[in-house]
Amino acid sequence: MKPTGRIELIGGLLDLPLLDKEGVYCGVVDDIELDGASNAPTVKSLLVGPGAYRGRLPGWAMRIVGGLAGTRITRVPWEAIAAIDSSVRLLDTANAYGLHRSENRARSFVPKRGAM
Amino acid sequence: MNPLELTLGIMTAVGGFVDISELVFAAQAGSSFGYALIWVFAFATIGIIVLGEMSGRVAAIAKQPVFNLMRHRLGLKLGLVTLLASLISNLITCAAEIGGLAIILHLLTGATYMLMAAASVVVLIATIWVLRFKWIERTYGLLGLFMVIFAIALVKAHPPWADVAAGLVPHIPSGLSSKELISFAYFTVAIISAVMFPYEAYFYSSGAIEEGWGPKDLVINRLTCIVGFALGSLLAISILANSAHLFGPANIDPELPGSAAMQVALPLGGLGLILALLGMLFAVAGAAVETCLANAYSAAQFFGWAWGRQKKPWQAPRFTIAWVAIMLLALGIILTGIDPMKLVEYAVLFSVLVLPLTYLPLLLLSQDRHFMRTHRNGLLGNVLGWFYFVVIVIAAIAAVPLFILTAGGQA
Repeated sequence: MKPTGRIELIGGLLDLPLLDKEGVYCGVVDDIELDGASNAPTVKSLLVGPGAYRGRLPGWAMRIVGGLAGTRITRVPWEAIAAIDSSVRLLDTANAYGLHRSENRARSFVPKRGAM
Repeated sequence: MNPLELTLGIMTAVGGFVDISELVFAAQAGSSFGYALIWVFAFATIGIIVLGEMSGRVAAIAKQPVFNLMRHRLGLKLGLVTLLASLISNLITCAAEIGGLAIILHLLTGATYMLMAAASVVVLIATIWVLRFKWIERTYGLLGLFMVIFAIALVKAHPPWADVAAGLVPHIPSGLSSKELISFAYFTVAIISAVMFPYEAYFYSSGAIEEGWGPKDLVINRLTCIVGFALGSLLAISILANSAHLFGPANIDPELPGSAAMQVALPLGGLGLILALLGMLFAVAGAAVETCLANAYSAAQFFGWAWGRQKKPWQAPRFTIAWVAIMLLALGIILTGIDPMKLVEYAVLFSVLVLPLTYLPLLLLSQDRHFMRTHRNGLLGNVLGWFYFVVIVIAAIAAVPLFILTAGGQA
């Protein structure tokens, strides 16, 4: 499916995994930001990160998620999407959209030796 | 199709089929009810063949493992509930496997149980760290083939084969008291849960992604599931039949994994005992690795982290931290001194509760025209899939009352 085509937003896009251009998993479509300036809203960006769970989870659950994982949200512009099928494929690397910050932070705790 | 790859895949599935829960429940089922529960193993094995094949096919065609698609299908709220339930269930199962491993090592070496639990975890972490996915899977799966000694012991023990064969026909033994009937029902649910553990679907489908499966691998997927799981199930059935033949008449309750090994020692002597313990050691170690990685796969896929053991550990850092943490948490549970056999019971109980949530999205996806195109379920796949879904829903509803009524199978 082309990103310029008509898509069923909730069923077709929400909660799909994101893959960057190198095929690396870099998040999930946690919510969608619409541009409501016109009568026919269009998708402005994909929202990625635990902060985007707000509105999808009860308040008490969101407080737990926020305490454990933070409330950051990364916006991936609609124009950054290359294709949508069983995942959302991005045109560039995860770093280009700020999607690898948590992964990079975690990397500093993992020794870089010993594996085949 | 590479015949060597196929053979190795099938042998790995055979060696990796039995875990601590199957060991314990097969042995106890045999000593308590003779051959009457063999059909439940056969019945549940057909279920895991059907659903395992689907999870491999979905991974090969939709190019996504179970948990990625589960969240897309169930949504965030129900997906989170499923994630939490499966994390708890797999963690308890992983702890039970480590406990079983420590018992077997204690029997083999005489070293203390706690020391062996800690040493096992060090070795397991080292192997997952060093080896790539294919070699992790094959090392434990192929070494688990020592379990074939249970089938050899059964042949040597000359059981009444007509009774063994009659056990394959679904039935409830006549003359059971109501208390025994409840216990029979508990064992039925526990065996279904132990054979169809949710971690198996997570691990198998994630493994298919790790190995880059595509449409050309569908034949391997089908043969691995049908032949590998069926032969693996024969090993579990051998344990049950040995127990029915040797322990039942002597009123021995084989509560510990070591008792199962004695089934082999009786007909085959000391060498048989050592081979049985080695088979159990590698089979249970393989299951510990699978449950641990299944949890890391689930969390990584749910939250969209980089994942996989085809990557080096530092290339998927959150996934790596997750599996190391899960292994250490499982060890922590064992170090509290909890009875590992209690953990086996809890693992089976929690798992059966998670089974419907695990397999519902898989069933929906495997018949989805958009994702699966010409490889979606046929009529037989749909009928069998939904039939087993109803079975696991009934098992999930019955599990808690039966667990309470039988005090975890003790009553």
